[in-house]
Formats: sequence, C-alpha cells, structure tokens
Amino acid sequence: MRMAGLIELRNVYKIYAEGLESEVRALDGVSVTIDRGEFVAVVGQSGSGKSTMMNVLGCLDIPTYGDYILNGTDVRELTDQELSRIRNKEIGFIFQQYNLIQNLSVLENVELPLIYQGIDPIDRREMAMDALDRVGLAERYRHKPTQMSGGQQQRVAIARAIATHPPIIMADEPTGALDSRTGLEVLGFLQQLNREGSTIILITHDNGIAATARRIIRLADGRIIEDRVQEVDWL
Amino acid sequence: MNLVQAFKMAWKSIWGKKGRSILTILSIFIGIAAVMTIVSVMEGMKAYTREQNAAMGSNKINIYIYSNVWDEHGNNLGKDYFPDLYNYCNSLSEYIDGVTPVGWLDATVSYGTKTSANMSYQWDEEGNLIGDRPPTLHYGSDQYSNCNNLSIVKGRDLAWLDMENYNQVCVLGAQAAKVFFGSADPVGKVMQVNGYNFEVVGVYGSRLTDENANQSQIDNLIVFPYTTRRILGGQLPTEYQVTVKDSEMITEMISRIGGFLKGLIDRNQGGFDVSSNNQWQEYENEQMTVIGLVLGGIAAISLLVGGIGIMNIMLVTVTERTREIGIRRAIGAQRSSIVAQFLVEAGMLCGIGGVVGVAVGTAGSIILGKAMFQMTIYPPLWVTVAALSLSVALGILFGVYPAIKASRLQPVEALRAE
Ligand SMILES: Nc1ncnc2c1ncn2[C@@H]1O[C@H](COP(=O)(O)OP(=O)(O)OP(=O)(O)O)[C@@H](O)[C@H]1O
Ligand SMILES: [Mg+2]
Repeated sequence: MRMAGLIELRNVYKIYAEGLESEVRALDGVSVTIDRGEFVAVVGQSGSGKSTMMNVLGCLDIPTYGDYILNGTDVRELTDQELSRIRNKEIGFIFQQYNLIQNLSVLENVELPLIYQGIDPIDRREMAMDALDRVGLAERYRHKPTQMSGGQQQRVAIARAIATHPPIIMADEPTGALDSRTGLEVLGFLQQLNREGSTIILITHDNGIAATARRIIRLADGRIIEDRVQEVDWL
Repeated sequence: MNLVQAFKMAWKSIWGKKGRSILTILSIFIGIAAVMTIVSVMEGMKAYTREQNAAMGSNKINIYIYSNVWDEHGNNLGKDYFPDLYNYCNSLSEYIDGVTPVGWLDATVSYGTKTSANMSYQWDEEGNLIGDRPPTLHYGSDQYSNCNNLSIVKGRDLAWLDMENYNQVCVLGAQAAKVFFGSADPVGKVMQVNGYNFEVVGVYGSRLTDENANQSQIDNLIVFPYTTRRILGGQLPTEYQVTVKDSEMITEMISRIGGFLKGLIDRNQGGFDVSSNNQWQEYENEQMTVIGLVLGGIAAISLLVGGIGIMNIMLVTVTERTREIGIRRAIGAQRSSIVAQFLVEAGMLCGIGGVVGVAVGTAGSIILGKAMFQMTIYPPLWVTVAALSLSVALGILFGVYPAIKASRLQPVEALRAE
C-alpha cells in the first residue's frame, strides 16, 4: 500500500434528493489522490460534477458518502472550527464569480483571511499589499471591487487567495468570465504559484488551458472517466 | 478574532452600506420616537384633565358643622370647632394642603377717600371694566392662601396668632391692592372696615397670568382672620374647606375627618357633614381609566408596528448577507466570528437608532406638550425604557438570528444564495 497523498477522495458520493425521483448524483463514486506540488486540471461537461468535487475538496461542502482524507486526517472527524482553520490556512479559493465583498475596499478584501488568522494590523497590511503587488494591483488598493474590470476583480480574488500563502490553491473556472488574454494572465499566476511549490487544482472549460496542466482529470456524470498525466513545457 | 476586530468589521459593514444602515436606524428611531411622543401626549392629556378637574374643585372637601344650642334671643351659643379641626388637619399635612373657614362679610371698606360704599363701575361694549369694583371680603384662617392658590408677594400672610388674638389685620388680593392703593405699597397702611381700623399686613400675588387681570374679580379680594367676626359681626363659621394634595386621597380624607368630627361633636349639641364634589371625582376616575386604556393600547400598537418595521428591514437584507457570510466562511471565518460581527453590527445600529429615537421622542414630547397643553411634558420613564429595550432587542434578535442560521449552513450553500 502506498502512502496517502496530500488530498485523497475515497469512493465519494454527493447525492441530492436521494431516493426521490429527482435524485441527482453530482458525485457518483469518485476516488482520486493528488500529491503535493501537482498541477491538476479538472475538465468535463457542464453538470458533470466539477464544482461539486472542488467544493468537497475545499471543505466547503461535505460528501454524502465516502471519505476525504486531507493531509492524513479524515475531514469527517473535524469540527467546524478545524474546518474553518483549514479553509483559512491550507486552501486558497478562487471562484468563477470572484466572490469579493462589494462594500469593502480591495485591500480590505485581501486582508480578510489574514484578519481571521488573527494577524496584527501592521503585518496584515504588509502581507495584503505584497499579494496585491504580485497581481499588479498595489496602487488600486483603495478602490471598491465595483470600480474594477472583471479581470482586475479576479486578480484581487487571486491576491486574497494567496495572501495567506496556502499550500493548496483551488480555482473554479477562474478564467470563465475573462477574455482569453486576461485568462492567460491568470493562468500565468497559477503556474508561477505552482513553480513556487503550491498544489494547484483548476477547473476549466477551456481545452487550451487544460492542455497546459500536467495532469487532467475528466468527469462525466459524477464519475472520473479519464485521469492522465501529460508533458508540459512551462516548467 | 477579538472584539476590537468585530467592532471594526461591524463598523466597516455599517459604513459600507450606508443606505441600508440608515434605513435600519430610521426604522428603530421612528418606532421609539413615535411611541414616546404618543404616550407623552396622552400623559399630557391626563395631567391636563387632572388639572382641569382640580380647578373644578375635585381636590376640595367641604365640611359643614352646625350647632343647635340657641339662647332665647335666637343667638347661636355653639362652640368654635375650628381650632380642633385646624389642629387635626395639620396633623395630616402629608395629605392636606390647608383648611380654612368659608365665609363672606358684608362691610364697607375704605382707605382715605376711597370707599367701597360709593365705587361705581361698568363695562364698555368690548367687555372692558371701567371704574373700580368693590372687593369681595372673606373670612379665613392662616391657611386661606394655601386653600386658594394664593401666595404672598409683599408683607406677610395671616398667622394663627392673628386668629387667637382677634388681630385687626387683613391681606389684600393683587387687584384689591390696586383699587385702594394704586401703585403705592399698602403694607402697614390702616384701612377702615365698618369704621374699625384694620392694618394691611400683606399683599397676595395675582392668580391670573394674562394682562386682563384687572378685568377679573378673582384677585379683587380681602381676607380677614375669621375670629374678627366678633368685631365685624356675623354668625359663627359653619362651613369649612379642606384642600387635599392628591385628589385620589379625597375619599380617604373624608372618612378620616368624618371619624374625627364624630368624636369631637356632642350629638346633642350639633352635627356635621363632610363631602366633596363627588360626581367630579367619579367622573374623573372613569375618564382616567379610559385614557389609560387608550394610552396602553396605542403604545402597544405603536411598539408592534415599530417592531415589525425593524424585523422587516433586518430580514430583507438576509439573502444579501447570506452570500457575504458564505464568502467569509469560505476564506476561513469561524461561526463565532460571524455571529460576533453581526451581533456588534446590530447592536451598533440599534444603539444609534435608540439614542436618536429617545432624543427625538423627548424633543417631540416637549414640543407637542407646549403646543397642545402649555405644559412641559417629559416622556414617562417606563415608555422610554420599554420602547428602547423592545426596539433594541428586536433589532438585535432579527439582525443576529439570520446570521446564526446562515453561519450554520455549509459554506457552499451560503455562497449559492442570490
Ligand atoms: N444544491 C443542489 N441541488 C440539486 N442538485 C444540484 C445542486 N448542486 C448541484 N447540483 C447538480 O449536481 C450536478 C453537478 O453540478 P456541478 O455544479 O458540480 O457541475 P459542474 O460540472 O460544475 O458544471 P458547470 O461546468 O456548469 O459549472 C448538476 O447536475 C447539478 O444540477
Ligand atoms: Mg461548476
């Protein structure tokens, strides 16, 4: 038996309206292991269960059946407090709809995960400004998200995800709402983070983007129908 | 996350959503201010009615004491019961403002060339008094002024010693002083009453506030110690008046004084009667009950309406806030942090709304009280406390309860809220 990976799903099901006529198996017996430092693209048709899998992996949702082992611990055993801590420290999320808080400034949004870590205001501001600097938005820290373009908002969301230097970054179609050029820019950030050691899990519709991932997992109807490793040239 | 952080976060949230925050504060402050003002106006009405009733004499007890011992010439040989009644009433000074005999005398009063015997007066077509009107002459005790809402502005009031010593003194009402002395100081001057010398020892202030004071007979009076009837003539006093501090004590005082007089007066020598303007008393009580019911009802309805308003504005923002909670949870907020933030936020909003509401309610009460009843009405404490605590409790409850609910959702479910 081999060592457990960083992330491991064992026969995971996510079933909505179970037993009813309208039952949906968003995840239908998924088993997968992802190791530290991987760059994984999750692809599949709309409704195939990609987001559902990501939400389970990110501790935003719990599976109906099956186990999720993260870093050697069974997530099912964890208290809400511990799960919050994992979301806060271990995982950085990037959502398709950015999910910024509209009435907070760019800087305040990026600071938010650091506040929940209890980092003092001076360090917090420095870390948040560093993250904004990395996505090239340091001068716009006082703006409100609504004053920015979609690509800029997504970069703020990336800054928020990386501000805590989490070992895992999960992105659910981060380029879905962006044009191809800004999409490639976002992809560039993720590749850079991966080079620095972060584990990246990326959901995408875009075959071009998927082609840049070292590993591609393809879902259909809640099942993994393909899991393949490929050579890429950006490393 | 510590409390300072929760405060900062709540403040950012309040400031960041000024529109919503102002609506919340508004709904709380309107609820509180409306209830306070309504109840104050009702209380003002109550006080006004009470004052009106007091003016009608509902805080007066009338006592009638008679004696049926006569000499062969038809002169009453009864004894003067007043000193005993006076002492008894003074022992109840906690409840009683004063006691005085009630009696008028018919006499000619003069000073210098002015004499009541040949004063002439008339009214012009606008109803203004032309000329001097003779004052009314009262027998009284030293508490006549207490019983009749008079107070000394010059010299001294009558004293009990004046009664005991049959002193030939008198006190003038404001208008009587004007009639006889114009603007000169009457104190120390000697007037003639049926030819007897009486020294003016004091002058009462006017009981009228408007400028037409000299049109009225109400301050045109002279009060004499009731014992001077020995000189000036007249029967023993048979009527007395007691003024009670609180009209609600009337019934109690009537029975106590009745009990006292029963022991004092020999059945074979005379009798007594103690009564008050009872129909007014009962009418007043009835009125107060109705006003009280209306007051309570309106206050309850206002509080209810205000409460529903607060509930509404708090609940309306829930879906919007649910998504925000989802975001915060997704990036690592603990449930307790979420609840703390919303608790502090709701508390701050309600606190601001509450302070503004109490201020506006107090101002509204004072302004309306002045405008409607010419009184300074402060909102009763119980209304302030009830309105404030209910609004704040509802605001916090409906501000925090949805947040608690949303924080219990899986983050992904909260994020799904539109
Ligand atoms: N809360 C829910 N209740 C019922 N069914 C749901 C719920 N959430 C997701 N589903 C269903 O689960 C299935 C998988 O959904 P999921 O969002 O994971 O798809 P996806 O692969 O991310 O699709 P897309 O590419 O459109 O984002 C879909 O059929 C969807 O209708
Ligand atoms: Mg999806």
